[in-house]
Amino acid sequence: MSLWKKIALFLSVMGPGIITANIDNDASGITTYSVAGARFGYGLLWTLIPTTIALVVIQEMIARMGIITGKGLSDLIREKYGIKTAFYMMLGLLIANFGNTVANLAGWAASMEILGFNKYIMVPAGAIVIWMLVTRGSYWFVEKILLFACLLYFGYVISGFMAKPDWVPVLRSAVLPQMQWKSEYVMLSIAIIGTTITPWMQFYLQSSIAEKGIKKEHYKMSRIDVVAGCFITNIISFFIIVTCGALLFPHGIRVNEASEAAIALRPLAGDYAYLIFALCLANASLLGAIIVPLATAYYICEAMGWEAGVNKTFNEAPQFMWIYTLTIALASVVILIPKAPLVFLMVLSAFLNGLLLPFVLIYALLLVNDIRLMGDYTNPRSYNYISWGTVLAIVGLTVFLIVTYILPSGRL
Amino acid sequence: MPFFGELFVSEILKKPVLDPKGEELGRVRDVIVVRGEPFPRISSLIIEKRKKTTSLLWTDLNIFNKKIISSKTYSDSLHPYEFGENDLLIVRDIFDKQIVDANGARVVRVNDVKLEGYNTEAILIAVDVGVRGIMRRLGVERGGEDMMRLFGKHLPYNLISWNYLQPLEPKLTKISLTVPRQMVSELHPADLAEIISRVSHKEGASFFRGLDVETAAEALSELQPDVQAAIITGMDTDKAADILEEMQPDEAADVLSDLPVDKAKEILEQIEKEEAEDIQELLSHEEDTAGGLMTNQFISYPPETSVKDAIEKFRKDADEVETVYYIYVTDPEEKLLGVVSLRDLLLAHYDATLSDIMETKLKAVTPDTDEFEVAEIVSKYNLVAIPVLDTENCMLGIVTIDDVVDRILPPAAKRKRRKV
Repeated sequence: MSLWKKIALFLSVMGPGIITANIDNDASGITTYSVAGARFGYGLLWTLIPTTIALVVIQEMIARMGIITGKGLSDLIREKYGIKTAFYMMLGLLIANFGNTVANLAGWAASMEILGFNKYIMVPAGAIVIWMLVTRGSYWFVEKILLFACLLYFGYVISGFMAKPDWVPVLRSAVLPQMQWKSEYVMLSIAIIGTTITPWMQFYLQSSIAEKGIKKEHYKMSRIDVVAGCFITNIISFFIIVTCGALLFPHGIRVNEASEAAIALRPLAGDYAYLIFALCLANASLLGAIIVPLATAYYICEAMGWEAGVNKTFNEAPQFMWIYTLTIALASVVILIPKAPLVFLMVLSAFLNGLLLPFVLIYALLLVNDIRLMGDYTNPRSYNYISWGTVLAIVGLTVFLIVTYILPSGRL
Repeated sequence: MPFFGELFVSEILKKPVLDPKGEELGRVRDVIVVRGEPFPRISSLIIEKRKKTTSLLWTDLNIFNKKIISSKTYSDSLHPYEFGENDLLIVRDIFDKQIVDANGARVVRVNDVKLEGYNTEAILIAVDVGVRGIMRRLGVERGGEDMMRLFGKHLPYNLISWNYLQPLEPKLTKISLTVPRQMVSELHPADLAEIISRVSHKEGASFFRGLDVETAAEALSELQPDVQAAIITGMDTDKAADILEEMQPDEAADVLSDLPVDKAKEILEQIEKEEAEDIQELLSHEEDTAGGLMTNQFISYPPETSVKDAIEKFRKDADEVETVYYIYVTDPEEKLLGVVSLRDLLLAHYDATLSDIMETKLKAVTPDTDEFEVAEIVSKYNLVAIPVLDTENCMLGIVTIDDVVDRILPPAAKRKRRKV
């Protein structure tokens, strides 16, 4: 195959992997990295390398399943493990994802407010735009818009350079693991993995690959899409931490929100850095508010056997479109109600996500090794050691995180 | 092994299977199905005890219902079972599978499978695709029903009959419907009935309101008795009376007999007097006897009628009557003297009288003859209808072949009739 043909082929396959991975950096992801950078400087940068590896291992398996079976993850779970498993998992995911959608719309509201817009106008406006995009647009069109939006993440790379960090300590911290036995440090390092590897993205990735109809022969190209996505997303995370680490950390400025980070940057790095941070947050939040409800609609319809897909109309896939519509509408309402228990919702959602992640990953691993399903495309033996190791490590960390949620103190 | 009645497969899963002494042979793990006519049937149960799976032939079963499953044989006659790719297993291969319509669009998933007794077999008659099926699988069907009752509603049954599904094959990944979904308006009344029995009773009733009286009557007579009753109950009395009036008296009687007594009386009062009397007479017979099956609409003429007059009269009378292939010859006391087939009538000379051409060696039944016996006689002598006589040989009515066929075929098969 000539180089040009290869490139053309890659461009046709590209999309699901890059989009899914990038949207790991949604509102809560960006918040986590901003907080990490402001609180510990470059101290947590090293966690990005193992996180990237874990992400690549998992996403590659999910994408492979999507290509070989042509079905979504929740299709497979229902067919293999029956309705009980599927039902309770979907119920949990529905609540968790509702919380995620609220978090993303909250991120959108916050970024609009610091840019001087009224959230009572901008939240409904944003909701309507993303609703129209999915209900009216084709899969092809939606994917192109999302890919373009992913480009805007490069704003963080620019802000990272604008922060003029001292690159030697940055690179050293990135490759040399260090450990600080402080509860906040441990919590944040787990949170970085937690926001990077979520249950919903496994479902979204597999469903969008299945809907796109990528063929077995193009599996290698699709793998490039997935791996590239994982690297890009962690490079973005890297620059968010670097920006906050270089500018906020030395001044001892602590932030709790991504939007606070943007405000704090203004006097230190000027209007451009502030604008980039605010705009990128707005972009990421809106992207998250598209993908998370979309993932919800995909997996519930798959589990129930209803017609699903961005390419379908309201008539062809009514349940799919209604789940997407209602998730966005209800989440917007929650954001706009004064004194709605937003924090409670987000903690509940993080808790449920953590609770479900082990099940999702273990089921995914069992499914990918099912010969009836995957034929010659099951995991090779050696790869299984790596993937089980990765999954067990993530499961261990998540269980640890859940325990800290349950403990009465709430913190370590 | 006789199995009468119906059950859902999820109701027997994990149930113990007992040997004749009451020892547990194992618990039901899955069910093997083979192709059959008109529907797939169960060939064996797969049971599991201490991680060992064995198969138990359907013919070795003694009792099979949702409370008790017992075998005629002991554990030494069980065959070890290995899960094979070429067997069709309900739990592994049918449960939770995707159903797509004729155009390939995803419709819903299989939540449960319904079995029904037919002769000595258990056949698969429908798949459950509704909320009820989900709740049953989750083990909360009862609770769900109670919840709905609090709101004054019923949990609907949403079933799709097997005759709308493609034949099953091993290694199936999805199940196709054989009809596209949007063809409702062009369907034969029998197909309409099929769809109505699939939607909830409430929707069914409103669906009926949209049909003209004639179509509604035809579609209603194709439905299962419980669905008929539910739909008529959900309708206002006037409309119900109109529809019943349009139906054949025997069919109307069947519907009324399944209604609560008060409601039936109320409707009968609205029906035209003559028709109502016919229906009432039919209602007095047991449902599974010739009396319950018969209709009192038939053509009868005196023996001295000439062929020419008979044909003239026939032209006028036949419009109102369902079965016209036989002309019964009766005396003034309605005693049956003989029968003339339509063919004989048309081939005979105009001047001949009916008594000249009638067949006097008659097959007949009494009102309390069992329905299977009626079926046997009709089938043996290749009749289209058979007269029902009282002890004095007076004509009470006739049982027609279509009613007989409906009774002896399994319920879903009678709806298999396609557009003509």
